[in-house]
Amino acid sequence: MSPEVAVLQALNGISFGALLFILAAGLSLIFGMMDVVNLAHGAFYMLGAYVTLTIVQRTGQFWPALLVAPLVVGLLGLAIEPILLRRLRGRHLDQVLLTIGVSLVIADLVGLTFGREIHSVPLPPGLDSSIAVLGGDYPVYRLFVIAFGAALAALLAVIHRRTQLGALIRAGVGDAPMLSALGVDIDRLFATTFAFGAALAGLAGVIAAPVFGIFPGMDVDALIYSLIVVVVGGLGTLSGALVGAGLVGPADTFGKVLFPEFALALIFAIMAFVLLLRPTGLLGRARIAR
Amino acid sequence: MRRIVPIGAALIAAAALVTFPTWSSGWESSRYATTILRDMLVLAILALSLDLLVGSAGLPSLGHAAFFGGGGYAAAIAAQRLANDDLLLGLGAAALVAAFLALVIGVFAVRAAGIFFLMLTLAFAQMVFALAFQATDITGGSNGLSGVHRPTLLGLDFNAPDALFQLVAAVFLIVVALMWRIRSSTYGRALVGLRENERRMRALGYDTTRLKLSAFVLAGAIAGVGGALSGWSLRFVSTNDVGVARSVEAFVAVLIGGTSTLLGPVVGAFVVLYLERVLPSAIPFAETVLGVVFIVFVLAARQGIVGLARTAYERVRT
Repeated sequence: MSPEVAVLQALNGISFGALLFILAAGLSLIFGMMDVVNLAHGAFYMLGAYVTLTIVQRTGQFWPALLVAPLVVGLLGLAIEPILLRRLRGRHLDQVLLTIGVSLVIADLVGLTFGREIHSVPLPPGLDSSIAVLGGDYPVYRLFVIAFGAALAALLAVIHRRTQLGALIRAGVGDAPMLSALGVDIDRLFATTFAFGAALAGLAGVIAAPVFGIFPGMDVDALIYSLIVVVVGGLGTLSGALVGAGLVGPADTFGKVLFPEFALALIFAIMAFVLLLRPTGLLGRARIAR
Repeated sequence: MRRIVPIGAALIAAAALVTFPTWSSGWESSRYATTILRDMLVLAILALSLDLLVGSAGLPSLGHAAFFGGGGYAAAIAAQRLANDDLLLGLGAAALVAAFLALVIGVFAVRAAGIFFLMLTLAFAQMVFALAFQATDITGGSNGLSGVHRPTLLGLDFNAPDALFQLVAAVFLIVVALMWRIRSSTYGRALVGLRENERRMRALGYDTTRLKLSAFVLAGAIAGVGGALSGWSLRFVSTNDVGVARSVEAFVAVLIGGTSTLLGPVVGAFVVLYLERVLPSAIPFAETVLGVVFIVFVLAARQGIVGLARTAYERVRT
């Protein structure tokens, strides 16, 4: 691999990592607060992508999707938490099982509505060109994904550290029952967190749509990747999602270039290796393993 | 007398099951019914093996299809490469390969518990899916392996639909008997002990990690046998057999039917396959129905159909 190719692939890897971060951040956030691994996360991502498809088909515009899709998916999350998950509060495993049912329903309804074929949306105007990087052409949209992921990471970090919502989230992650005892409306906080995490999955679906295509089964792909990211990075924290995505994105990209036959095996090998060394992930908290 | 009656009833039921194609031959849809029942029994084998983990040992595995499909591939590929359609070769290859896969995945997965165990089994099973998908030379990749030969044994040929049904039914009965035996053994009780209180089991001197791993491997091997039967039934093995959807299907079957019972996974498998195979001819959104049914059971009837029936029966009796 020549140095030029290596740099371009590194950019690809980082942009995939940025997408994985957007995807996994929501999963990790929900787990951190509610101790629930949302297995409908991939379905939320899928929904975000199909909302994007609808918007592009109807209006010919991509950018509204960036707002509308997370809103739609977030509202769905806002409905699912109180209607379904809240009834099983404290029974974490059953809550996880519940999300399997939710993902079955969403994936099937999406398939029925949009058909089982592969769709694509064009790159948004303004970002559909390429720029010269080291003598090669590099698509601007992928650079945009990197910038977007970085900006989102910074924004989430600021919310997390500097705002009242962030303080509530940190407190909820630390000890939700205590927070509730202190008079915080934990129901509302949980619903908000779940909706916000779902919206992030929807947002990842929008960002991914022009690059990775829109097809049945994308929900499973996204779910597996985000699970690997949080297992590697550690579940329940933003930094864990960032580290996991930063490792898995480039590893997967280089794996596919260097040994295409074993690309998927590579990231699973990383996952297995991390698990052997640190069962809770690189930045995970101890209570996950219980 | 008290033992003879249930044993006699079980034997009659078993005989009725194996001879189903014969006594149903007068029905208009006998052939269709036999096919559906055969596939229900295959899924029931998968669900029964999964319940050894989910129900008995309290290990919620969401990757059981890896062993099912692994077994299916193993049986088909062994027969193809060795040009030998022997039944025992196929079953042996399926059980061995599935057990090996379960051992490799299990070493990592059983270190975790609960939700984390579920995540790991899901993710690692997807690795098996990826391998099956990418190793095109061996597995046929996304095309799968078609034209799988049905097995023979000592001059018996299981190629005819009825003979194959009888093979599936016989293996199903053996698996049921095995599960029944495990449940009443010290080993089976030790597994329940894992579910109920792992720390106490450790304090009692059990090597709980090894106990879990052995259950994981055993359940994997049985799932592999189910996969071999599936390949012979459909004459086709594909990445669908190792995919998440199959794992979810089995899990849903166990949960809807009722965990840690012998009957539950079987009833669940029948319900799931009815919803997936018989219902779609009436409505197009069978998966949605399956999802909603699953959600309702998780929310309101975690004990499953068999558990509900048992509660209802006890209420009537008292």
